[in-house]
Amino acid sequence: MNKRKPGTAPRTTRRGRPARNTQPAGPEPKAGSGAFALAAECTVADASSLKSGLAKLLADTDPVTVDISCVQRIDTAGLQLIAAFMLARESQGRQVQWKGAAPAIVTAARLLGLSTLLKLPAAAETAP
Amino acid sequence: MTIDLTQFHDAFFEESFEALDSMEAALLKLDIGAPDSELINTIFRVAHSIKGGSATFGFSDIASFTHSLETLLDELRSGGMQVTLAISDLLLKSVDVMRAMLRSVQAKQPLDAQRISDLQFDLELIIAQKNAAAAPTYTVMPAAIAHLASSAPAPGAAAPGATAPGATAHRRWEISFRPYRELFARGNDPLRMMRELAELGELDVKADLSAVPGFAELDPQACYLAWTLGLTGDVSEEAIKQVFEWAEGDCDLVVRLLNAPDETPVTVAAVEPALAAEVIADAILSASAPPEEAKADPTVHAAAAAPVLAVVKQDAKADAPLSAIGDSGSIRVSVEKIDELMNTVGELVITQAMLSQLGAAMEGPNAEKLRAGLAQLERNTRELQESVMRVRMLPISFVFSRFPRMVRDLAQRLNKQIDLKLTGEQTELDKTVLEKIGDPLVHLVRNSIDHGIESPEVRVAAGKSPVGTVHLDACHRGGNIAVEVSDDGGGLDKERILAKARARGLVGPNDALTDEQIHDLIFVPGFSTADKTTDLSGRGVGMDVVRRNVKELGGKIELRSESGRGSRFIITLPLTLAIVDGQSVAVGSETYIIPLISIVESMRLKEASISRLSGRNEVFSFRGDYLPIIRLHELFGVEPRARALHEGLVVIAEGDGRRVGLFVDDLLGQQQVVIKSLEVNYGHVEGVSGATILGDGSVALILDVTGIIHAASLRVAA
Repeated sequence: MNKRKPGTAPRTTRRGRPARNTQPAGPEPKAGSGAFALAAECTVADASSLKSGLAKLLADTDPVTVDISCVQRIDTAGLQLIAAFMLARESQGRQVQWKGAAPAIVTAARLLGLSTLLKLPAAAETAP
Repeated sequence: MTIDLTQFHDAFFEESFEALDSMEAALLKLDIGAPDSELINTIFRVAHSIKGGSATFGFSDIASFTHSLETLLDELRSGGMQVTLAISDLLLKSVDVMRAMLRSVQAKQPLDAQRISDLQFDLELIIAQKNAAAAPTYTVMPAAIAHLASSAPAPGAAAPGATAPGATAHRRWEISFRPYRELFARGNDPLRMMRELAELGELDVKADLSAVPGFAELDPQACYLAWTLGLTGDVSEEAIKQVFEWAEGDCDLVVRLLNAPDETPVTVAAVEPALAAEVIADAILSASAPPEEAKADPTVHAAAAAPVLAVVKQDAKADAPLSAIGDSGSIRVSVEKIDELMNTVGELVITQAMLSQLGAAMEGPNAEKLRAGLAQLERNTRELQESVMRVRMLPISFVFSRFPRMVRDLAQRLNKQIDLKLTGEQTELDKTVLEKIGDPLVHLVRNSIDHGIESPEVRVAAGKSPVGTVHLDACHRGGNIAVEVSDDGGGLDKERILAKARARGLVGPNDALTDEQIHDLIFVPGFSTADKTTDLSGRGVGMDVVRRNVKELGGKIELRSESGRGSRFIITLPLTLAIVDGQSVAVGSETYIIPLISIVESMRLKEASISRLSGRNEVFSFRGDYLPIIRLHELFGVEPRARALHEGLVVIAEGDGRRVGLFVDDLLGQQQVVIKSLEVNYGHVEGVSGATILGDGSVALILDVTGIIHAASLRVAA
């Protein structure tokens, strides 16, 4: 369904993040090493690649870690995708951990009424 | 990523341009001094939408400019500022600038920064000036309102004399916002709306995730979320609706006030307009049995009442346009898709004609049934074709809408008073025709204003109203559409035209011309009677171009003029360029189609009426005229069945103001044919305007009479 090849999402690596956490959407994340870093832009234009990135973590039986520290811009489409991901994980009784702080994502989640679902770490919000 | 966003941009640009058109139209309708608040609301909404949209897409220059504009409009809307001619001009200029900005951004070209910043400066200056100047009245006004309100036992006006603008009226709104799936694709982001709402008041958001599908099934571009919002604060319903305006038509939106307005203690000064209007209306009503205080200070009373009455009006109408926009029930389809559809239907018509021909010759037990089926097919095909044609039709208001602005600007420059009347704006015609008729109409309207309508002094001296009228009208007439431009100006000066024509040697010194012949002179290239050339008209280019353009569309232009009473230009156009009513004629083994509009009549020639001039030129007498004969078989190099002129037929056809006899073997029949472009499929051929496919599958060329006359005269000359 998704034509994008695996590994086309690592915009974050361009931003010089250390490889450990920015090993995003790695072709096959092994069980237990489920980690994914969100790109700086998580908007409707990037939603397809974001979805394929998150999809790989979905089946991971161990808690997965999503690094949100790079996120600078996120819109409803991006947040909806993350919310759907959370719902899917919760329905399987599996956990998601957030890594890093991202004011943009926290503000957006609050404004869209998704804070409770996402259980985001408290962080200083950006001025709206 | 870029592709996705560009897709949203297109919708944004398209909607913005349309919105600007409606803003311009509203501005032109705006009466100086006594503006209709509904119009101001329309204008404000456009500015607001474009500001929101451009901010979403990061077009910061546009957003910044529209912000300044919005501030000014807000002042006008609230009645803090009056609409003057200068402001109305400024707003019209802003429309131009916004349009230019959007075009530049769309074409990815640099913006005209100087022009934008100049105008933005003007906008901000006018706001600043008014703020400075209006300060005293501004403080007086609310006080006066409060004073008035307190003088009557109005239930809402509990705090007499309170003017503190910071005082709040807490209203609790419940907003149910359920976007449709395609909301994102239209460039809307609920997050942005929430942000705007959060700025208005205290926002409480509940997301509804029930429609969100499983992760695998989720389309990342579709919106599944819905929200129930609570908003508390001094917020008007209009302000809320404005936040969602850009999403209108892409969501279900219900805005509900939870607490009744008079439940909370409010101070009149801070109440938003709708509420204030109610309160004040009550106050004024009960004040009609004049209380002592109001009588004592009549000036305050008047000052307070005037703006308030305007507010009442605004409130009554505020919601009407919003709902009207949402219910338009139309979709956007690209022109290519329709052309494709049109083309396919054209092929279908041809196939159907072929089948009908085959079926007619069929025999056997089922032949009758087959023919009945074919007749049904023919009917359905024709209906389908007509429906598709109608899809391409647009109301002529698309062209007419540019005139109010143009007339206004020209009248101002020429110091004339002109009233523009538009009628028949809903008359529909083919988009292609519509696009090409714009320029000729602009020429005609300009001419009417510059040459036709006299200056107010001259008009008064002639016993006419100082305000001249230019009237644009469109209507269907048979299979054609007639567009008329008329004015009640001075009419054509026949003497002057004739004198000028004589001076230029167009007319012999002693030739007597009929009125029509004189009128025809103004269509001669380079002819002008204007004593001085202005930048509007008078250079003698124009009317000939108008006539050429109209002819290219297969139409004609007539002129009627009465000295001192005005002139009328009547343009007759075919409804569409895709289909032509044609007469098929046979020449040898070939079939040609002659457009019916060019045919005067057809006749068999008598030997006696034919004369031969020197060389190979043949003419025949037709109602006292001698018309040249063009033998189509010679022109197209076809072996004819009839060589002697009396054996075949002559079709008298008109093109470019000249008549000729086209010599053919036989007439076959009249039919509507679908025009296929020869240029697209092959190349331009002189004397042929296109081709069509006949019922038997053979190709017939459609003749262009003007081109044939041209080609034939070249042959004679050679």
